[in-house]
Amino acid sequence: MFRYVDCIDAGTEYCPCHLAEKGECIICSQLRGKNFCDCLNWKGTCIYEEFIWNNKKAKRIREFKEFTIENKRLIRDDLLLLQVSVNPYLAKQLNNIGSYVFLKKPGSPLCFATPVSIMDSDIKNNLITMVVKILGVKTKDLLECKDKVELKGPYWNGIQGQIFLKNLKGNEILIVARGVAAAPCVMAAKKLIKANNKIIVVLEKGRGNGNFAKERFKSLGCEVYDVNMINYNDYSLSEEFKNLLLELIKKNNFKVTISGGSDEFHRLYLNFVYALDKSLKFATVNNAIITCGEGICGSCEVKLDRGIIKSCKQQYNPAEVFINLRGEGRK
Amino acid sequence: MKVVVIGGGWAGCAAALQAKKCGAEVILIERTDLLLGLGNVGGIIRNNGRFTAAEEMIALGAGDLFQIADRCARHKNVDFPGHKHATLYDVNIIEAEVRKYLYSMGINILFEKRVVDVEMEGKSIKSVYLHDGTEIEGDVFIETTGSTGPIGNCLRYGNGCSMCILRCPSYGPRISISMRAGVEDLQGLRSDESFGAMSGSCKLEKDSLSKEIREKLDRDGVVVIPVPKEDINMDKLNIKVCQQYALKEFAENIVLLDTGHAKLMTSYYPLEKLRKIPGFERVRFIDPYSGGKANSIRYLSMAPRDNHMKVIGVDNLFVGGEKSGLFVGHTEAIVTGTLAGYNAVRLGIGLNLVELPSTLAVGDIIKFENENKKTLDGLKQRYTFAGAVYFERMKQLDLYTTDIEKIRKKVDGLLLRDFFKNRII
Ligand SMILES: Cc1cc2nc3c(=O)[nH]c(=O)nc-3n(C[C@H](O)[C@H](O)[C@H](O)COP(=O)(O)OP(=O)(O)OC[C@H]3O[C@@H](n4cnc5c(N)ncnc54)[C@H](O)[C@@H]3O)c2cc1C
Ligand code: FES
Repeated sequence: MFRYVDCIDAGTEYCPCHLAEKGECIICSQLRGKNFCDCLNWKGTCIYEEFIWNNKKAKRIREFKEFTIENKRLIRDDLLLLQVSVNPYLAKQLNNIGSYVFLKKPGSPLCFATPVSIMDSDIKNNLITMVVKILGVKTKDLLECKDKVELKGPYWNGIQGQIFLKNLKGNEILIVARGVAAAPCVMAAKKLIKANNKIIVVLEKGRGNGNFAKERFKSLGCEVYDVNMINYNDYSLSEEFKNLLLELIKKNNFKVTISGGSDEFHRLYLNFVYALDKSLKFATVNNAIITCGEGICGSCEVKLDRGIIKSCKQQYNPAEVFINLRGEGRK
Repeated sequence: MKVVVIGGGWAGCAAALQAKKCGAEVILIERTDLLLGLGNVGGIIRNNGRFTAAEEMIALGAGDLFQIADRCARHKNVDFPGHKHATLYDVNIIEAEVRKYLYSMGINILFEKRVVDVEMEGKSIKSVYLHDGTEIEGDVFIETTGSTGPIGNCLRYGNGCSMCILRCPSYGPRISISMRAGVEDLQGLRSDESFGAMSGSCKLEKDSLSKEIREKLDRDGVVVIPVPKEDINMDKLNIKVCQQYALKEFAENIVLLDTGHAKLMTSYYPLEKLRKIPGFERVRFIDPYSGGKANSIRYLSMAPRDNHMKVIGVDNLFVGGEKSGLFVGHTEAIVTGTLAGYNAVRLGIGLNLVELPSTLAVGDIIKFENENKKTLDGLKQRYTFAGAVYFERMKQLDLYTTDIEKIRKKVDGLLLRDFFKNRII
């Protein structure tokens, strides 16, 4: 299988980072204790060269800054919609597939920092929109924010498999999303539609009035379907959902599908559609526990056959993580 | 039977062409938009023992590329310090000619596609992956990715990226395919035992030189001008790839050759200093663009091979050109690439592999380099028909001659006339 090694920060203004300084760069062999070049993923700049020219130091790390909350309301008992006005730089940088930020209540200690995906970034008004699921200590703390929030960003690794979404033009793409994981899918749909792709979205009906993002997908021009995806008694895909997928895959020529759900859901869904179409490529919402976002703390580690990667910074091929290849010689 | 050639320099072109002539289906993958690699900035052929080697290849039936180079010659029979009877091909036109020829032979060429990984099946390569994840399968693979750069190597072992013809920033870095297949690379050494070597010449824009120099270049193909005493730098000779040009004369003189541009036979030369020389007041570098401060670093990525050009440790991978050893030169790349292409097809259809006879310079150099590379001193040498240790050996063994008839007779005597012309599939 294609060994896909990518650091989402490589080649950006945050590269080289502290990993390079410590001889742990994800991409560059010269910054991983080797003496010769063995570049694992060229993104247009030589990281070693950038490092030398930066006086052998990491670039400055992202820092928390205070911004104003423009809109904050519960759209369900456990879902908080947040709109924050940011500076033009952040608005632009966050207007990308997979972008996320860390949020915390002003004054709260750093360990309260919560990673939150960007659902939309309005670059005219410098307004970003996010949806936070209130789950535990960190998100409850966020709920207490008044008119200010501390924000650190931009980060971009909220979606895995981005290589398959790049340079797509005039293709058909299937997005399948449940719950709060629909938020990053809205951003993905927006960007993919800008590139003239046709997007079909299947959403989990769930409880209440269906997914919060439904109207957003519709207003972007996506074709949207509502289903109940899961049999909860044995956590399997429902017949209704499977039939819809069969029908959609027959009717359309999907190149890529984006899965917005838990890792358990990714596994079920990817295996099911892969069996229908082996040429399908996958992108998945990143569910790792992201704490520092800088590849340092290790809380986001994912085990691949070829070793452990830090999934806050490093990309993987979702097929490599979620698909059970039987007898296909996984290496 | 499908042969996949990775890297479209002289060695890769020769390998692809030979595999095609043998009857295989051939795909040639090149990361830039140009074939010939460093051949786009070289231009010197047939100097000293390279004349013999070119004629041997022609007699062996693998003269196609030499004949194109001859047709693209700007000057023939040029002498310059330490070198005799050189042909200078025009670097501005030759790439298009070679490309046309490879297409006419039915070779499938992929441009702007960089190979980044291999899929193994035991000790064989099953397929290679391009940077975008595309998988390309094949029966036999030939790596001719050269040994130049990439940026990190040019920085660690040189003066940084000089913006050479391989254009890493635009097309991404060279990587070692053999290493991805599990075989450690070998490295060349400089006389002080540091790694690698710096390319030994650069190109000046001819129109930026004085009328007098331009006219002399157009007429004679060569101009020799003494370097101002205070600027003579003998140390620069030691870092050079091209030991055949690492002579005192090249430090004490500016040697210019007309290859379409004015080829300056030194690794790099600070622009301010260069412009002090009469006739050079407006001079500019054209390759590498930053020839005022640096040049590319080479020989950090050779695969261990046998004398059939097969990589030791991988069952179906061959190498040619700089990837296959401390060879310098177009001629050397074509010779080794041709044998790699030929043996790749033999392996693919289950025939035993062949070596070229030592009684020919083209066979002897392949063995001599392989043998010598085993020693520390041998790793400090470069191997070329045009000079340094190997040309000395050619003269001693009476392998060097410019008598074409004699070469043909010798090849006839070995029953090898037009050997490379035979279809074997
Ligand atoms: C400035 C200069 C002047 C020279 N002048 C002369 C001269 O006058 N006469 C002479 O005989 N020799 C000369 N040489 C030396 C000579 O050019 C080289 O030794 C010879 O051309 C090497 O050929 P090659 O095919 O082995 O490698 P290269 O020419 O380096 O070719 C390698 C090719 O592989 C491609 N490649 C690399 N990695 C990948 C990948 N992963 N996927 C796909 N493609 C890839 C590269 O883009 C390149 O096109 C000169 C060299 C330089 C730098
Ligand atoms: S979140 Fe800390 S290393 Fe990834």
